[in-house]
Amino acid sequence: MSAVATPGVVSAVVPESTATGPRLGWLRDRGMGASVLVAALSSAFGVVLVEATAYIGAMLKSDPYIGDSGTLAAVVAILSVLLIGVALYVAAIVTANTFSTIVAGRTRRIALMRLIGATARSQRAEVAGHGFVVGALGAVIGVLVGVLVAATGVYVAERVLGAVDAFTLFQPAIVIPAAGVVLTTWLAAWIGSRRVLSVTPLQAIGGSVERSHEDAAARPSRHVGALLLLILGAALLVFGVLTGLVTPLGVVISFFGGLLSFTGISLAAVLVMPPLLRLVGRAFGRSATARLAAENALRYPERSSRMAIGVVMGVTLVTMFAVALESVKALLTKAAGGELDSEFAVIMDSFAAVMMVLVGISAVIAAVGLVNLLTIGVVQRRRELGLLRAVGLSNGQVRRMILLEALHITVTATVTGLVLGVVYGWIAAQSLLGSVRMPPFFEETAGLVAPAIPWLPVVIIVVATGVLTLVAAAAPTRLATRVAPVEALAVD
Amino acid sequence: MEITTSDLGLAARVQHLTKTYGSGDGAVNALTDVSVGIRRGQFTAIMGPSGSGKSTLMHIMAGLDAPTQGRAWIGDTDITGLGDLELTILRRRRVGFIFQAFNLVPTLDALGNILLPFELDGRRPSAIEKARIDGLVERLGLASRLNHRPHELSGGQQQRVAIARALATAPDLVFADEPTGNLDSRSGREVLQLLATASREHGQSIAMVTHDAIAASHADRVLFLGDGRIVADHPRQSAEEIASYMLAAEVAA
Repeated sequence: MSAVATPGVVSAVVPESTATGPRLGWLRDRGMGASVLVAALSSAFGVVLVEATAYIGAMLKSDPYIGDSGTLAAVVAILSVLLIGVALYVAAIVTANTFSTIVAGRTRRIALMRLIGATARSQRAEVAGHGFVVGALGAVIGVLVGVLVAATGVYVAERVLGAVDAFTLFQPAIVIPAAGVVLTTWLAAWIGSRRVLSVTPLQAIGGSVERSHEDAAARPSRHVGALLLLILGAALLVFGVLTGLVTPLGVVISFFGGLLSFTGISLAAVLVMPPLLRLVGRAFGRSATARLAAENALRYPERSSRMAIGVVMGVTLVTMFAVALESVKALLTKAAGGELDSEFAVIMDSFAAVMMVLVGISAVIAAVGLVNLLTIGVVQRRRELGLLRAVGLSNGQVRRMILLEALHITVTATVTGLVLGVVYGWIAAQSLLGSVRMPPFFEETAGLVAPAIPWLPVVIIVVATGVLTLVAAAAPTRLATRVAPVEALAVD
Repeated sequence: MEITTSDLGLAARVQHLTKTYGSGDGAVNALTDVSVGIRRGQFTAIMGPSGSGKSTLMHIMAGLDAPTQGRAWIGDTDITGLGDLELTILRRRRVGFIFQAFNLVPTLDALGNILLPFELDGRRPSAIEKARIDGLVERLGLASRLNHRPHELSGGQQQRVAIARALATAPDLVFADEPTGNLDSRSGREVLQLLATASREHGQSIAMVTHDAIAASHADRVLFLGDGRIVADHPRQSAEEIASYMLAAEVAA
């Protein structure tokens, strides 16, 4: 399969991948299954959205009142593209992170291959080839599941709303998200496998002490760029809010401000997240388990930061829609002098709910990545756990340590996401409707209102975080407590 | 009344110890009816070729593994029937460990590693323990290295940090598993001298598993294992004597 990635090279230089064991045996490696799941999720999501867009388009076309005006259909299509883009972006971050973690765990094996004579490039191509297979597999599964979900949805919709003649499930456009998933997964695996190049043949021999902190790749240019984006984005956001007091066009300025500043935050995750993680770590106290957990969460700052930033994105988007819609209601209420049409409020609420579910998929993808990475992280620390158990860490303390480690990242990510979501959501509403005048008086503009926070979504997010933490801690805890100290110490 | 381990002047002992891996035709006896004691205040070397059962013996004596048959004591505590939590706490408070490699928690600095057994116990060292740790740090030459992480230390320094941690709680017994296996000969000699000193001057009981005759020559007593049994029990010997005994045993086998 890896021949697909780089024809000839891999199979010529690394015959062992086909010679030893079944060709796809590596798919059973820890982390690969979850990567397939991530690819399948994003591809299924994309397929469902494409189908839904086509369905809504067909429905609008057949509606005698709306007729052929393509505007609404175009808006839905643009929205779909944006949502699929966000999901693919989050999935790519998760996959790149997973692959770089898997590569870190394979260091010795890669070093051995280098020792025997494999080139670094062929080794990296092999990993990237795995990414291609994972992406393709996930895409196929995703298309199947997506079409199935869409078929069910259409069936239900037709029962409720009546048949839509012009619609067929066979939409060639579903190939686009599927191909997107294959390409982004492949690219993510390639990016994530960068570390392969730094493995030296000598690492196959000796190398008993792990470097505890990755040399956080100091790329000042990238950090300066991220900082510039952040500052520029923040300035645009402020400007957008102020403009919004005069004209609804403020929201366009804010949109770009949000895009720039959030890209800045994602790029600077390695700078932004570690201090936040440290802050949360302090809150867990000074006990040995808490301190070990805090150090573990920051052992690979880059890995933890990227793990967290995926969840941050998901939570931010969900919160943003919730707060934006709630704030819009608050603004309109204020402009209308205290009363809001209840029918309109219901429409707003259902729109908010749909959007939250749609962006919530990104959060789910990020969560899968988080669970997976925490598990791999613990598995790769088997020897250290054996040492700790020998020196006197009880099984209960192991459990607490891993739970705290998971809590560390989920709490940091969720709180960050909530804060960012409230800010972005409020800015969106404020810059859109700060100048609005409402019936019956049309005199006063809404002006500035405080961000309105709907509590139900927040509660759901917090509960989901709790569940995520428990799920993320469950698998590694089971693996870690099952290991007898002797067994772990014997692992080479 | 049954005679106790301390009555015998022992820090730890095992009686009629058998350890079998697997079952049926595939069963392998790692240890067969081994009875032996580690004398208090002595530096004991446990020797034997690979597969002789020396590591298994150490693991069972240290409460890291359970025997198939027989009993094991640390001090006067019969550890054979203890549960996982009790064994963990026992190891934490009464046993010290020095392994061949990967001795230190990479995320903690040297001092954090030395204090780990106390922290896991949820307490700070008492004044007496503090004084002992200060003395150890001084003797082991670690004063300027306390805030370094393991990867910033040389192999010999890492091993000295491990020794400090193992001795810090003044345990009943320190187990050292090939403590010089990963070191150059000078650092190795230093480590062995430090262990010998701890036993001679501070009465620390130490059991060291090794297959290196030079390492064993630093010990007060050398036990030889072969095929899961104790085959010889010698007082202090020179490296040449140990090596020639091993060679003879190898030829005879």
